[in-house]
Amino acid sequence: MSDGLSRRSFLKLAATASAAAAIPGCEPAARKLIPYVVPDENVIPGVPTFYATTCTECSAGCGVVARVMEGRVIKLEGNPVDPISQGAICARGQAALQGLYNPDRLGDPKTRQSDGTLTPIHWDDATKLMNGKLAAAAQAGKGRVAFIGAPQGPTLNSVAKAWGVAYNSVRVGFWEALSDEPAERVVYSTFGRHDLPIYKLDQAETIISFGADFVETWRSPVEYARQFAQFRAPKTRGGTLSIGRAAYVGPRLNSTAAKCDEWVASNPGTEGAVAMAVLNVVVNQGWVAANTGVNLDDIKKLVANYDPEKVSAQTGVPAEQIKRIAGWFGQATGGAVALAGTAEVQAHLAAYILNLVTGNLGKTMIFLDEEVPLEATWSQSIKGIIDAMRDGEVDVLIIAGGNPAYSMPPAYAFKEASKRVGYVIWMGDAPDESADLANLLIPTHHPLETWRDTAPRAGIHGLGQPVMQPVYRSRALHDILIASAHVGAGTAGQAITYENAADAINTAWQDLQGKIGGGSTPKQFWDDARRHGGVFQDGKPATVKFALEDDDIEAMSGPPPAPSELTLWAFPHIFLYDGRGANKSWLQEIPDPVTQIVWDTWAEIHPDTAAKLGLKKDYEQTRLFAGIDVIRISTPGGPIELTATISPLVKPGVIAVPFGQGHTSYGRYANGIGVNPFYFLPEGTRSVAVTARKLDKQYKLVTPLGSSDMMGRTIIEAMTVSDLANGVEPDFGEEKVDRPYEMYAPIEYAGHKWGMTIDVNSCTGCSACIAACYAENNVQVVGKANVDLGRIMSWIRVERYIQPADKVGDGPLIQIAPMLCQQCDHAPCEPVCPVFASHHTNEGLNAQIYNRCIGTRFCENNCPYKVRRFNWYAPEFVEPLNYQLNPDVTVRGAGVMEKCTFCIQRITTAEINARTEDRKLVDGEIIPACAQACPSRAITFGDINDPNSAMIKRRNDNKGRVYTMLPEFNALPAITYLRDLYQEKGKA
Amino acid sequence: MAAAVDQSNYHNLSFLDVDRTAQRVMAPAGLKYWLWVGFCAFLVAVGGSFWTRQIYEGLGVTGYGQPTLWAIYITDFVFWVGIAHSGTLISAVLFLFRTRWRTAVYRCAETMTVFAVLTAGLFPIVHLGRPWFFYWLCPYPNERYLQPDFRSPLTWDFFAISTYLTTSTLFLSMGLIPDIANQRDISIGWRKKFYSVLACGWQGTDRQWRNFSMAYLLLAGFATPLVLSVHSVVSWDFATMQTPGMHSTIFAPYFVAGAIFSGCAMVLTLIIPMRKMLHIEDLVTIWHLDSLAKVILLTSLVITYSYSTEAFLVYYAQDPIEMTTFYQRFFGHQGYLFGGMVLCNCLIPLLLFSPSIRTNTIWLFVISIFVNIGMWLERFVLIAGSLSVATIPSQWKFYVPKVTEVMITIASFGWFLMNFSLFTKFLPIVSMTELKEGVGWLRKSARNTYPYGKAS
Repeated sequence: MSDGLSRRSFLKLAATASAAAAIPGCEPAARKLIPYVVPDENVIPGVPTFYATTCTECSAGCGVVARVMEGRVIKLEGNPVDPISQGAICARGQAALQGLYNPDRLGDPKTRQSDGTLTPIHWDDATKLMNGKLAAAAQAGKGRVAFIGAPQGPTLNSVAKAWGVAYNSVRVGFWEALSDEPAERVVYSTFGRHDLPIYKLDQAETIISFGADFVETWRSPVEYARQFAQFRAPKTRGGTLSIGRAAYVGPRLNSTAAKCDEWVASNPGTEGAVAMAVLNVVVNQGWVAANTGVNLDDIKKLVANYDPEKVSAQTGVPAEQIKRIAGWFGQATGGAVALAGTAEVQAHLAAYILNLVTGNLGKTMIFLDEEVPLEATWSQSIKGIIDAMRDGEVDVLIIAGGNPAYSMPPAYAFKEASKRVGYVIWMGDAPDESADLANLLIPTHHPLETWRDTAPRAGIHGLGQPVMQPVYRSRALHDILIASAHVGAGTAGQAITYENAADAINTAWQDLQGKIGGGSTPKQFWDDARRHGGVFQDGKPATVKFALEDDDIEAMSGPPPAPSELTLWAFPHIFLYDGRGANKSWLQEIPDPVTQIVWDTWAEIHPDTAAKLGLKKDYEQTRLFAGIDVIRISTPGGPIELTATISPLVKPGVIAVPFGQGHTSYGRYANGIGVNPFYFLPEGTRSVAVTARKLDKQYKLVTPLGSSDMMGRTIIEAMTVSDLANGVEPDFGEEKVDRPYEMYAPIEYAGHKWGMTIDVNSCTGCSACIAACYAENNVQVVGKANVDLGRIMSWIRVERYIQPADKVGDGPLIQIAPMLCQQCDHAPCEPVCPVFASHHTNEGLNAQIYNRCIGTRFCENNCPYKVRRFNWYAPEFVEPLNYQLNPDVTVRGAGVMEKCTFCIQRITTAEINARTEDRKLVDGEIIPACAQACPSRAITFGDINDPNSAMIKRRNDNKGRVYTMLPEFNALPAITYLRDLYQEKGKA
Repeated sequence: MAAAVDQSNYHNLSFLDVDRTAQRVMAPAGLKYWLWVGFCAFLVAVGGSFWTRQIYEGLGVTGYGQPTLWAIYITDFVFWVGIAHSGTLISAVLFLFRTRWRTAVYRCAETMTVFAVLTAGLFPIVHLGRPWFFYWLCPYPNERYLQPDFRSPLTWDFFAISTYLTTSTLFLSMGLIPDIANQRDISIGWRKKFYSVLACGWQGTDRQWRNFSMAYLLLAGFATPLVLSVHSVVSWDFATMQTPGMHSTIFAPYFVAGAIFSGCAMVLTLIIPMRKMLHIEDLVTIWHLDSLAKVILLTSLVITYSYSTEAFLVYYAQDPIEMTTFYQRFFGHQGYLFGGMVLCNCLIPLLLFSPSIRTNTIWLFVISIFVNIGMWLERFVLIAGSLSVATIPSQWKFYVPKVTEVMITIASFGWFLMNFSLFTKFLPIVSMTELKEGVGWLRKSARNTYPYGKAS
């Protein structure tokens, strides 16, 4: 500083500079950190709190654990003590958070003006208005108040019913669009019970599913995916190593069918006929167990019309195939189970009888002592309410979830009926199509903000507790109902003794303790339940008696109808289900595992059918599934325009369309996409005869998928069970590279060296890992247009390949495996980065330093696995979706490469904890989000340096199946895959 | 052949003719010239605004995506670096070989080199996700002791390009000194001052001439290996990648040949209209163009050979992944690009076997344009084409450009042509000094018969 700047002038300058910095106004908006004025003793910044609660995204009733940081729930994880989820969670469960932080939720009560616009009103006015209307209706007569809502758990449902009674009405119904009512109806008419049996797929040797997509949406997908993985794991049965045999009957090859040995492509709606034909073979071949208590003559009468040869034409299934799967089923010595998931009752009946006559009742299909009926009201009663509405017998209708305006069959004419109702009140968290019918809109809590309970089956009592303060100015639905009964219903309302929903739940749980015992005091019982997310017991098996009425036989034994030339068949979307997931951007952006299509409704059509319709057979060589030709489908309910996706994975003559889209007012991510098949389907079925023609119009379906052909590359490998048993290494036509020496010395890892073992045989493609990664790692959603440009950001993806036509039978028809960063030892991404942003950690991870990255993108170019993701734009997390962001993970800016880190934040946390507690890390202490979520337990994470880790053990126990992806690049991945297994060559 | 189109009496030029012609070029410009420069500047401004938007919003405004993370910008980069090469070849290598025809075109070629490298150097920055941190590629002392990774070919690139830019700028500006001194002596006003600075006190003394010649020789010697090394390094950006279709040892020589090929074509593209517009047909004659055309023909044959070798090696190795990539390159979704590249680079240049085409400026100009297009396509096919069909078939996707990168590519031509045009007006675009040497040599040489036009 000798020349120019003296010490004194430097100080002067420095003082001026700091003074300038202190002047407000020239600064960007101040971001203040405000500490808790009175700190909550449970909230330690940076340390998550876990609350056990229940998932309410479907009726499976999985237990979940909410990870809450600084008062905000940031992730849902499976509850390890819950017998259903056992620590896993599906993609839809993960995305419940996006429902909680849905930016389109209703903030204030609103009334509809005469011109149709909505104006916010004060809560007090809203409740006063509502109570006034209800009281007037109740005084006008019996049953002039109606309630149609989504099922909310046994206790809250009974609160709603009590509320109805207080208002002089029993017109209270719980609507579930794709409910298990047909299954329950058959159970009721044959077993005389009001519940559903539970299944033990892992106890079976053969599974035949008649339209039940049990690893996707059917009943309890997390539980059944786990059981199915155990069923498919190689086991020694009768002295030989084998895997379970499974067949799926249905018009479309979904991911359940992809994991089965055989896809029995049946015409839509004829799964029941196939089931009856299988039953026919089983009974006539005498593959029946003794003492099942079934009158076989009745059964023979029932299936008389279903000789496999005779129904072959109607079902479209060759007789040999029916006989073959019947043979598997009837001759299975180690247990067999038939499942049914159709909207028609016939398949359910046949499946129950199949399990029954083969002596599997009580083994693979079990009725428990306590009957837990379905929460959804049977459609007959729902229709009764709607009829009453149409007849003007209802003055006030409350719609509380379930979105009946969207998901009811047009035959119900719900919208028209609601117009005859004097006053319609909609209650819910986010407005939907049903809210459009309402005069008053009342915002209610999201299930994660309320108390509730679940009873998915006997012995399991799930307890849901609020996991955070409400995001919006909403109130709990049942709090509103109870208060309304107390205030508006006069003395009748006083019959409801609870003060609010929490009180109702608490009371119910006190009763429960009285019933099942456990816990020394009610408080302890309650606290334990809150801690564990419920009380879980194994239900006791019940003895049931099967009786088939003569008129049932008559109703069911008629020959199946002739197939129509072209049938529209709708199926639940694996993520959007019946449409409830449509406003969750994760669920929209995660590709459907089979078609890989995102953000849209598609119409899957077989190439033969496509040729008849004049569609081009092969659009683009490498984009097998992304169709462009729009077809017009004429249904009895009106025309639909959809883009055809030409796929060999669907029965010829079928147009398979997923439910879920076609929303008009369900929020920013859902509106204006695709069509809603519910609007076009007759009541009680998911298929309808249609005609279709090609339009002179094109529309692009978007998929991140390139080619569906693996081209013989070592990406997903499969081998036969006999090869595994005989220790034969399958030949993939790859030259086995012999590496006598390496140019560089192997990298030594003194401490840990993280790795993964992934069992391709277990992976069902359910994409729970992808959703978990989105939630855990703040991965941005890019939207349809950007997916089309190849900018999907998920760090883990489901690789999906289809055997080309000339190789069918040479392995499974569809191959599915999770693909994520392989954390290579010789990582090709590392040396090419000019600024060391991509570098190797001393625990074997290929770390990416976001701050150092300048965005040359050289790393991803050089990555053989193509698992790095570049931020083309700065991420955008719409308020309040940003509340969900994990504070342990950086949100990446534009121009930066990002990638899977093996959830390094979890690794680091565990390491710090171990160090603070002065102990060694325990195997299993660190679980990355993907492995944690996986329902089928396909992913195991651990320390390669620890020979006793579960991950290394899994490799060693499955030595014959071990492989690494693309070994010719010699990148030495830390992820080892276990090959997929299939029965025998020549049969897919 | 339109024989004797060129009525030049090159060998009869006097020193004064050379001076006058060169000075006429540098006479104050007319409206047409400024309109042209203004048009180029407009292109630059349009491209600049697109770039600004790209920086502001992110690379998402382009058509980029997985798996083609490199596409047009890197294609442009390699294209412009390639263009640069022939300049050094003509000015330095041919100087060392004492090739006489270079004298008239070398300044033009060398100028092209400098501006092409300047253009090329922009593209790696345009291409970056976070361009404001481009200087992290440079090893500068910092408090965090962070240095670039010398294993990365991009770091090699950084040094190769900066060395090349430095050397060719020095070479160009030093060669200018005697000519600028000439201009200084006849200029007035600001031009006088401008040239005085650039002339570095040149007096034309014997001592200065001797030092000049020696320095020129040394710089030429220094620049010569760069002709080989720079584009080899650029090729290693790709050859070191494991991506099928790029991972090949043939890349370095193949890129160098391609660079000279495209560079000579660019010299023709520039010089044919320029000699017409600036009326310097006397200085840059058909003979020069013919010589350039021969180089183009030769290098075209070399790269045709390279293409065949590359494909043959893949066929011979029978690596299934490489085979698929090449199948896709030839017959795949964007196979027409490969077809266009073969047409432009391998087939059309074969016309140059005909002497009548080699001496027809229109034909030469058209062919040179085709070669430029072909070489751009070659890089595009190699980069975007190979990346789009890489190792994981489920991730295949073909790149389609959007307006941003197209406009920035067009702007790069505007930027290059603007600089080049400004140079022609303010600095001597033909080397008076060396032409005079050439004139003297021609006059003296009895053996050399001028093959074009009337010899007298």
